[in-house]
Amino acid sequence: MDIKAVSAQIDADIQGLNSPEALEQFRLKYLGRKGLLAELTSTIPGLPKEERAGFGQGVNTLKNKLLNLIEEKQKIFSGSCAGAAQATCDIGMPGMAQELGHLHPITRITDEICAIFSRMGFSIVEGPEIESEYNNFTGLNIPLEHPSREAFDTFYLKDYPKLLLRSHTSPVQVRQMQEQKPPLAIVVPGRVYRPDAVDASHSFMFHQVEGFMVDREIKFSDLKGILEMFAKAVFGSEIKMRFRPHFFPFTEPSAEVDISCIICKGKGCSVCGRKGWLEILGSGMIHPNVFKQLGIDAKKYTGFAFGMGIERIAMLKYGINDIRLFFENDLRFLRQF
Amino acid sequence: MKVTYNWLKEFVEIKIPAKELAQKLTMAGLEVVALEEQAGDFIFEIEVTSNRPDWLSVLGVAREVAALTRSKLKTPNFKPGARVAKGRLKIEIEHKKECPLYTARVISSVRVGPSPEWLRKRLELVGCRSVNNIVDITNYVLFELGEPLHAFDWDKLNPEKIIVRRARPGEKITTIDEEVRNLDSSALIIADKDRPVAIAGVMGGKNSEVGFGTRNILLEAAVFDPLIVRRCRQALGLQSESSYRFERGVDLDMVTKASLRAAQLIREYCSGEEASFNSSGLTKLKVKSVKLDTDRAARVLGVGIARLKIKQILSQLGFKTKQGPKKVLAVGIPSFRQDVNLEEDLIEELARIFGYARIPASLPAVKPCVTRKEKRDLACAVKKILVGLGLSEVITYSLTDKATLSSLGLGFGAQPIEIMNPLSQEQEVLRPTLIPGLGRAVALNFNQKQEYVAIFEIANVFLGENKPKEELTLGIALGGTRTILLEQGVVKDEAGLLNLKGIVETIFARLGIRDYAFNHQGSYVEIRIQNEQAGLMLNLKPQALNKLNIKNKNVFALELSLDKVLSFLRRDKKFIPLPRYPGITRDISFILKDDLSVQQILVLLKEKGRPLLSEISITDYYQGKQIPAGYRGLTLSCLYSSDARTLTENEVQPTHELLCAALIREFAAKLR
Repeated sequence: MDIKAVSAQIDADIQGLNSPEALEQFRLKYLGRKGLLAELTSTIPGLPKEERAGFGQGVNTLKNKLLNLIEEKQKIFSGSCAGAAQATCDIGMPGMAQELGHLHPITRITDEICAIFSRMGFSIVEGPEIESEYNNFTGLNIPLEHPSREAFDTFYLKDYPKLLLRSHTSPVQVRQMQEQKPPLAIVVPGRVYRPDAVDASHSFMFHQVEGFMVDREIKFSDLKGILEMFAKAVFGSEIKMRFRPHFFPFTEPSAEVDISCIICKGKGCSVCGRKGWLEILGSGMIHPNVFKQLGIDAKKYTGFAFGMGIERIAMLKYGINDIRLFFENDLRFLRQF
Repeated sequence: MKVTYNWLKEFVEIKIPAKELAQKLTMAGLEVVALEEQAGDFIFEIEVTSNRPDWLSVLGVAREVAALTRSKLKTPNFKPGARVAKGRLKIEIEHKKECPLYTARVISSVRVGPSPEWLRKRLELVGCRSVNNIVDITNYVLFELGEPLHAFDWDKLNPEKIIVRRARPGEKITTIDEEVRNLDSSALIIADKDRPVAIAGVMGGKNSEVGFGTRNILLEAAVFDPLIVRRCRQALGLQSESSYRFERGVDLDMVTKASLRAAQLIREYCSGEEASFNSSGLTKLKVKSVKLDTDRAARVLGVGIARLKIKQILSQLGFKTKQGPKKVLAVGIPSFRQDVNLEEDLIEELARIFGYARIPASLPAVKPCVTRKEKRDLACAVKKILVGLGLSEVITYSLTDKATLSSLGLGFGAQPIEIMNPLSQEQEVLRPTLIPGLGRAVALNFNQKQEYVAIFEIANVFLGENKPKEELTLGIALGGTRTILLEQGVVKDEAGLLNLKGIVETIFARLGIRDYAFNHQGSYVEIRIQNEQAGLMLNLKPQALNKLNIKNKNVFALELSLDKVLSFLRRDKKFIPLPRYPGITRDISFILKDDLSVQQILVLLKEKGRPLLSEISITDYYQGKQIPAGYRGLTLSCLYSSDARTLTENEVQPTHELLCAALIREFAAKLR
């Protein structure tokens, strides 16, 4: 048996070798303990001395050739088939993954609003839900015995005189202006309370986001600019906006802000009461009396403030028609967000 | 408030259609909430803000229309009839502050009957029912000029004097709506010498009502204190067109004019004759003046309005302007604009009429100040973890009832903060725990046929100590059985306390909180961080489940103070170098009595395994056929490693044997 013959046989055998099993057979045939290469090696001692070295080298070359061939084939086989037992799978079966939970839509909208103002440079501040009469009313230029107080109808605490559940997030304006000197650019999200009987559009607990900015030379036109950016970010750049004069005790001039109805695009439908407009927030230039109460020089500083109901924004944005859904917490509702 | 197109036209020339006018009014702050065409006229329903009582009249709205359309306001002419003498009637006002002006006009020989058609119709259009010509005329003037009037049957009054005073305790009056009203000293009344005849500014008395038999009338026009009128109508549960205007403030200057206007109409339509006129109180208010710096107006609004235009706007709204030094205008405030006191009030007037829409939009330079909002950030981080773990966020009411609180049996019902004016019993207290709200949400979802409920809320709880305290708290509730479809088939996983424990451990691991423990405390498991109580978890008791109407299901709830968690958060996170040498893992499988806690075993073995043992954990547990009753099978996985070298099996063996021996000796475990 000579090296050339074996080499030729190898070349012949490797052709058409097409399964890992056949490759193993092939390996055993040549490289096994009783394989052809072992046989060749065993003939070496019987060779004349001067031929031994050359023959040995020839066997080694053959061995390397075999190892290379086997490795190549293995690569081919492993490429076409994933090593271990390959599972078949019906891709139509349900996918398997940890099911995620859902954030409440109020949280989603609040976070979205806060993120928009954050990107504009506003800081997010929160305040307590139990407030003093001063912070909720007096500091905001809402006289104790004024009809305007009625709109902010309030829950009072029984055993703590002059303490109440805040009826809006504006008390944080009072707190923040007392704590920090201008410039200020702040948004305040939070829960608020008003003793309203619960129905499809009223809730005794709801959420607001308040925003305000105080600096030298803050103008009414700035309020328009900031709110326009905000409304377009939330409702889309194609919406139209309008600012209507209104009355709030803590701002002067004051404005209510409407957006063109997102359902009918301003043509008039049941959602907007055929008006084509949806009221989304109240705003205005901070009243000089508020500044005076809080020790800020109204000659030097001006500012704007705005506030909106988050439930309302969420209802408009998602087309939710009943405010009670937010507080029932039906998972079939929550899982949609 | 309702006004009609044709009525407005009596005071101002209008060249634009009703719809366009409605639009203009809305954009000037008189929001037209409804526009209705009826009987050849248009009815505007206007939402009037509480600062603008002057808009509660046709004249007031007409003034706005004139300013908005740049036409002239036709001011009515209030001619007295033939000169009338002062009568012998005395007017006594107890407190001038409560009634700054009272006028009484006696008109004799009136013919009371149905109103003419035009009057009836016009009142109907603005939502006022016709009564008779005298009453209708007083109402007509109320709507037209905003001054409420009242007509008494003069022959039913004691003619000696009219008294404006507080009611005396025990006094009663039957109002014209036939209701007997018990009065007390908080009510301001009109009385004659003998008895109350009207509740000032709210409603007249039956005893002096004008009817078809009335011959002579006393026409009252007055101003009453807004606050007293408001309190009085609130106490009596009575609201009228009169009280609505009085409590917002009526124009003192209009009182006599309105009385004249009504007298003129009465002469015309009820053929009366003025007999006398008496009045008591202020006749004129001092004219206020407010300075307006036109440059400042431009700075505040972000748009400059020409000085001429400013003067024009102000004068059309009834203000008197006088050029002062520099660019400052001295603006005289008319008596019907008591709401204007500051420069800003005038700036709003300019902006309103100029048009908010014409003010450009600009962007201010925001000087950001980065404030740390750790609490909010923590809440957001925890929410994200929980959502990742498959829990859904709920928002439940902060107000609850005491019965549900005490059904929890955790002492929460003891002293919650009570609400003074709740609308219902379910709102009687501020919640000291999130658990009842979560429980109700679980119950609702079980009722909706949910098999498995996993929810959380992050909100304040309210604790009443010396002063009320709010604590930001995480609440979780799990209940029911979760179905998980795996390759090997369906797995049913029933919610339990260990699920809650796992959730807490995941949160703590994420937040880097290490030193914590779970301890049984009777009916609940307490969660401690650095040996301080931070929360609890429990299986809701039968009475609580009962109260929530949950049947045949268990609910597991957790409450964790995020304020406490926040105080344990550390910001000094440091990298721990990766192990340089591989470790050796050895398992121990054994049987343990059920009543022994794994926690103790882990603590002891950790101690005994030093220094080679670097991690030890439970990797399997089972109860079943091969395990005797009262026992459970457990597998502990021990990782041995060293920072200095790769350990050999021989080096690990003694420590591992020590651990096995300790298990047998200390816990009577049987190795398997």
